[in-house]
Amino acid sequence: MQTLHQTPLSAKKLSNLDSILLPVPSATLPYTIKLHGRTFTFKDLKHLLGAADISKAGDRKAGLAASDEIMREAARALLSSFTLQKIFDTPLTNIHGRIDSVMQVNYDIDHSVFSEIAHCTLGELKDNLLRANGARIRQVGTALTGVMVAALTKLLDVHELVLLAKKLKTGASGKARTIVGLPGTLSSRLQPNHPTDNLSGMTMLLYTGLSMGSGDAILGLNPAIDSVANISATLHHLDKIRRETGAPTQICVLSHIKTQLACLKEGAPVEIMFQSLAGTERTLTDEFDVTVALLDDAYETMQISGPLAGIAENFMYFETGQGSELSYNKHDGMDMATTEALCYGLARRYSPFMVNNVTGFIGPETHLDNHEMIYSCLQDHFMGKLMGLAMGMAPCYTLHSQVTIEGQQMATELLTAAGANFFMDVYLGTDRMLAYFDTSGHDDQTLRETYNLKPAPEFLSWAISKGIFIEDDDGNVQRGVNWGNPKIFCTSNGQFDASEFQRLQESVPAIYGFENAGARPSNRVMRLMKANQAIGREAIYADLRPAEMGNIALRELHTAANNKSEHLNDPSLGAILADSDLNSLSAENNDVQIIISDGLSAEAIHHNIPDLLPVLLDGLNGRKLKIGQPILAPFGRVKLAESIGDALAAQLVVTLIGERPGGDALASRSMSAYFAYRLNDRNTQNAAANFSGNADMRYEYSVLSNIYSAGLPSIEAGSVIAEKVFEILQHRAAGNRLENILQHLTV
Amino acid sequence: MQANLNKRVYLLGLDFGSTTSSALVASANVSCSSATGRMAFTEPCIVFRSEPVFTPFINQSIDTDKIRSLIQQWLLQSGLTPSQIFSGGSIITGLAARSDNASALSKQIVSIVGDSVIATADDPCLESWLAFMGSCSALSRYHSAIHILNLDIGGGTTNAAIGVNGDVLTTGCYFIGARHVQFIPGSYQLLALSDIGLALLKSLNINANVGDTLTSEERYVILYFYVSALEAIVLNETDFFVTINGQRHCQVALDIGSMLRHKIKPKVTFSGGVGELIYQCATEKPLPDTTYFGDFGIDLAIAITKSTILAKDLNRYIPENKGRATVYGLTLHSTEISGHTIYLPNLSALPLNDIPVIAKLSLDSADEMWQSAFNLAAHRQLGACIQLIDLNTTTSFHALDIIKSLALKIKHHYALSGYSNTQALLILVEENIGKVLGNYISDWGQSMQNLIVIDEVPHRDAHFVNVGRLHQQMVPVSFFGMH
Repeated sequence: MQTLHQTPLSAKKLSNLDSILLPVPSATLPYTIKLHGRTFTFKDLKHLLGAADISKAGDRKAGLAASDEIMREAARALLSSFTLQKIFDTPLTNIHGRIDSVMQVNYDIDHSVFSEIAHCTLGELKDNLLRANGARIRQVGTALTGVMVAALTKLLDVHELVLLAKKLKTGASGKARTIVGLPGTLSSRLQPNHPTDNLSGMTMLLYTGLSMGSGDAILGLNPAIDSVANISATLHHLDKIRRETGAPTQICVLSHIKTQLACLKEGAPVEIMFQSLAGTERTLTDEFDVTVALLDDAYETMQISGPLAGIAENFMYFETGQGSELSYNKHDGMDMATTEALCYGLARRYSPFMVNNVTGFIGPETHLDNHEMIYSCLQDHFMGKLMGLAMGMAPCYTLHSQVTIEGQQMATELLTAAGANFFMDVYLGTDRMLAYFDTSGHDDQTLRETYNLKPAPEFLSWAISKGIFIEDDDGNVQRGVNWGNPKIFCTSNGQFDASEFQRLQESVPAIYGFENAGARPSNRVMRLMKANQAIGREAIYADLRPAEMGNIALRELHTAANNKSEHLNDPSLGAILADSDLNSLSAENNDVQIIISDGLSAEAIHHNIPDLLPVLLDGLNGRKLKIGQPILAPFGRVKLAESIGDALAAQLVVTLIGERPGGDALASRSMSAYFAYRLNDRNTQNAAANFSGNADMRYEYSVLSNIYSAGLPSIEAGSVIAEKVFEILQHRAAGNRLENILQHLTV
Repeated sequence: MQANLNKRVYLLGLDFGSTTSSALVASANVSCSSATGRMAFTEPCIVFRSEPVFTPFINQSIDTDKIRSLIQQWLLQSGLTPSQIFSGGSIITGLAARSDNASALSKQIVSIVGDSVIATADDPCLESWLAFMGSCSALSRYHSAIHILNLDIGGGTTNAAIGVNGDVLTTGCYFIGARHVQFIPGSYQLLALSDIGLALLKSLNINANVGDTLTSEERYVILYFYVSALEAIVLNETDFFVTINGQRHCQVALDIGSMLRHKIKPKVTFSGGVGELIYQCATEKPLPDTTYFGDFGIDLAIAITKSTILAKDLNRYIPENKGRATVYGLTLHSTEISGHTIYLPNLSALPLNDIPVIAKLSLDSADEMWQSAFNLAAHRQLGACIQLIDLNTTTSFHALDIIKSLALKIKHHYALSGYSNTQALLILVEENIGKVLGNYISDWGQSMQNLIVIDEVPHRDAHFVNVGRLHQQMVPVSFFGMH
């Protein structure tokens, strides 16, 4: 057992927000520098910080990234000359010119340490830290705001990000039932996500992960439904599995903090309290429905009445990732790394058990490719560790970005070298609920073996007792006979229960098999998994082929996205028609207008439209509705319906569009039908506005998803869509208002 | 279309036999099985299991008052109200299945529980099917390439079923059971003999009457007969059941000859009360005292474990729910769940009970067959069911043409049959085409308000079908009359 654990952030009383010393915002000034004969002027500190970073998709979109390498180095040179005091005195304010609550918390620093280093320039600070040992670096971190940390990070190269983070491994652990983040360890969060929160499916994924030595950080589920009843049920289920297997770990269901508080009140085992954080108050409050006061309340509640009170020193679990503020367009003019660092400044207030960074989750609008994703992950890991957090990492990707499994694996190698506390275990790396790709239990074990790391000590002892690991006399840990064998947990009266195991297996979609080759999945399993992923990727990058749409004549219109790249990287372009096409349209006043677009999967269109469209048109013609000639609009998004609906004055627009592919080959050919009902008369608009509470509502939406051969087959879907059209037009309503009307009719 | 995340339904199973009766309540999710892609009950969990009680008779007639209070007591103990029960089944066997008794029992069940529970009487093949599904369904899917022969040995019968990958291929039923010969518990003194038991003793030259004590030799001879009969079932030695004694013990023969000719050697599992004792014995757990249950069950179980033919798979293929396999199968497997895009223009048309399955038709069936089926159906005042088979719409490139042709055919023969629009026309299909077929038949809902098309229901050889009320876009479908 190692004894290096230190808990500088052990359970503590929260500071009074009003007592935090804040600078007074003043008018922003431009900064100018000359470099090699060129003069660069940066409008303010926000722009300077943005330009000093490597170029990333999100920062480019926000107009913050440097236009070239020289400009970037000019920004870095300027930043290097700024003292910490100058940065302290230059608060980055929100759109109203005020310090928001997230920034306020970031100023909650150790002023005695700050007074020692305030005079240092960022360049000097960087050099000092590279010369210092871990304890000193950690101490300096307590005196830094998120903005200072972000500024420093922009001066660091890959080696420096890895080296400094590695020095911070000691002292960045969290303690609940297990201690996660000790030197010499690599832990994992076992993530048994299931698309319908099926408890048997979760059990199967938990058994599989536990048998691979995963889950020592936490058994943590992302639920499909965020209701108190469902979250309580899933919490109790995770607790049951934890008790039955005897695994020394803790559980969490990653629902909204308010839901978890309600569950805790009802007696559900909310052992660790989760919340996603954002680096601006506008994102945190408007999008995540969270305030600092609510976080304070949750933290204090967990200290007093959490099931691990008295056992754990840390109770909170936060998730962050570069780009969320930007994707909501609520970044207040700051770049992605800076808002990310501000999240850490907020997280620091609550001494979390774990912080998980999911950079890459959002997609190409924030991180276009491997280079951007890997570098951001290294930045985030370092920034979190410097601010004293128990940082784990989830370098991940979606298929519509150019990030690949190879890039993700490179990220994990570098992050392990840098001393990340934990990674995810998503079965075979494919999340069945969130349609994204993360690290797997195989990856975690591979990295443990490559870097000679172990799981948390308490968990390791248990895993050895189960034959999952063996430890030789020299303390070397290797895979045991039961590693990767989930059947060890599926027993009845001491014997393997084949019937129960079968039921569990059948409850998980896309189980490719359990054969392993050492720490890796067998080649057969890997080929199946990657072939499925390849089909998903292909579906996104394939262009629409009009010849594969069947025999019905379509009129082709163009969106504002000129090509696939623009379409994927800027979702707003696919929501409007190109001006020339828009101007060519005039009111047709039809009952129904059908739009076909690739969205995020052209293959979904090729596989569904030829069978679906004839049925749908038969249905609409059968009821003698007025139908516009169906439109084919490549590179479209769902909201395109409004652009076209307005121009053609159609009563109802049905958009048939490809869904974002996940890792299942068939599901990658999945299409949705969106019904956009135009609220073009006063009575209907009033009814819709009253129902929704949104006075400006112009369209009401219904949706039918999962149209593919293994979901709702296209021929049947054509008929279902036709019936939905009849209902919408008959009741002059769509969405929840329509369902409400139908429900009352049934009753 | 996620309609039912973790929304559990309650299922009720009632088993009324010659000797004992019992009830089981399970809860389950209704969701799509990742294995079959069909809607099914998943994550089953038993929430109430009654103790077996003696079936109340008054001189061989069912005691309806006691039955009534028994069912009410079970419901009370389970904590459920009748309206909470989504579906279920009741099986009535032996003396309880005598027509007057079965009818009285059915009435009581409907009056207390409602029409969500379907009562079936004296359907031995259904029992064999249920026992297999209740004990071996998941086991058989786990060993998906292996044939499993389950023998459900109870008081009066042995219900045999063979299946592979979770599907039952064929069934049989034999009058081999523990209670044809009954003893005073703790002894081998005869307490009672069934007609079949009496005949068996006579044929085996055992001159013993009620009150006599069977000698060990006599017991051996009887057990030897039973074990030989069971071995004959497993080995498909049909000659055994050609003898008078053999014939007497065979209600429905299990025919596995073609399987054996194809060198398929099924693994043997057991369920039922005797099955429970067999596995107890095989795992060297203590057995109850001599004739504790007042019958031959314990001795028969021991004898079976000594047969190399019958006991060969006892330690490797272990079924579930052994003693309660039938009632478990009844509770969880007697009901199929439709797809969630069925064609149902009129919600109040459901439930439909005791609808005769008139015909199984395919597009290739002769026009005469189609017309004769519709003519026959038109005579059923409460409605009729037609199963459509071999449609191949999931694999054909011309699926829509097939559907349109079917719709035309149905409209044509329907019009000629004199079908009244007050009679329900229920069409069952295996494929996910309920709505589209219904819409093409009904001209997109503009005609035939009596039409119901239910999809994603596997075909079953049955004479009758029941369809429950709509629940989250789906309906429960149950078959009975499976001779």
